Amino acid sequence: MSKRILVLLIITILSLLTSLLITLLLGVKAPTSIRDLGKYYVANTIQDTASPEAVTAIVWDYRGLDTIYETTVLYMAIVGGLAISTISRKVQLKTRIGLTGITRTATRIIVLLIATIAFAITLHGHLTPGGGFPGGSAMAITAMLIVPVYTLQSLLERGVTSTRLVAARGLALTAIGLVAILPVLRGLEAVTNQKFYPSHIAGMLISGSLWFYNFFEFLAVASGFAAVALYLSIPEELYREELRGGG
Amino acid sequence: MIVTLIVIAIALLLSLIFVYLAITEKDLLKAVVFSAGQSICYAILLHAMATPDIVMTYLAVSVGLYSALIVFVISKTERYEV
Repeated sequence: MSKRILVLLIITILSLLTSLLITLLLGVKAPTSIRDLGKYYVANTIQDTASPEAVTAIVWDYRGLDTIYETTVLYMAIVGGLAISTISRKVQLKTRIGLTGITRTATRIIVLLIATIAFAITLHGHLTPGGGFPGGSAMAITAMLIVPVYTLQSLLERGVTSTRLVAARGLALTAIGLVAILPVLRGLEAVTNQKFYPSHIAGMLISGSLWFYNFFEFLAVASGFAAVALYLSIPEELYREELRGGG
Repeated sequence: MIVTLIVIAIALLLSLIFVYLAITEKDLLKAVVFSAGQSICYAILLHAMATPDIVMTYLAVSVGLYSALIVFVISKTERYEV
């Protein structure tokens, strides 16, 4: 038996023993009652935000400013990564042929399915679990599938570059900021929801600003992570050529 | 209630094993797969604790995006840890 497996066995047995001892000696029990703060959200979310989904309501309404700043932090991280991995001249890759026809067809079907689910998660974010961030990150997985299967070059030839995707993210972020600031023009607080935005559009529940936030966050996250996938998939040789000043 | 606790316990134990394997693995691509396994265990754990919102984000980010990004990064360096 190798040393690695032996250590693993010891760790597993020790953690099992510790948890059993703690459970038997201290009698730790999971709480069965809801705290007062939780009760407030359960009782009042539907009146305050017109959304039956308390989590989305907390993320984009009660604690809306926090989420806007979090989105900005992620944006800065992606822009920072882009700044490090930018190549001054146009990227021209030798490999144009991706994977085989079977993989391409399978990827096409899978990408369509993932995109459908991502849109469903986002557009129903104010009704069911989910929202802009999960939907956007599910959507970004399509980019990570397309890059190895269809090659980076085929994407670049269609005009999909990481700079443009980051610009798209910037636009989506601006839209989020506008949704947050628009109520100020009417003399209301920033990130106001129900006093400014309608709860229904054409008879469909959109829960005021929550739907807009979810949708723009979806665009921002999807384009941001797709940009990361694109600039990380530029081969290392190109950077070495760039450092040497040749090419 | 007892079923939930057992599911949580098994998921935690499995995640511990996956973490150990991921840390000690010399082949980085295999380490990514172990790390994704740990993420799946955590997703099961979060679902057992009734947090579907977190499960959705966690699955998409830690199993999909994170693993794919690390594979891209490994393609820029060497596959085996010396």
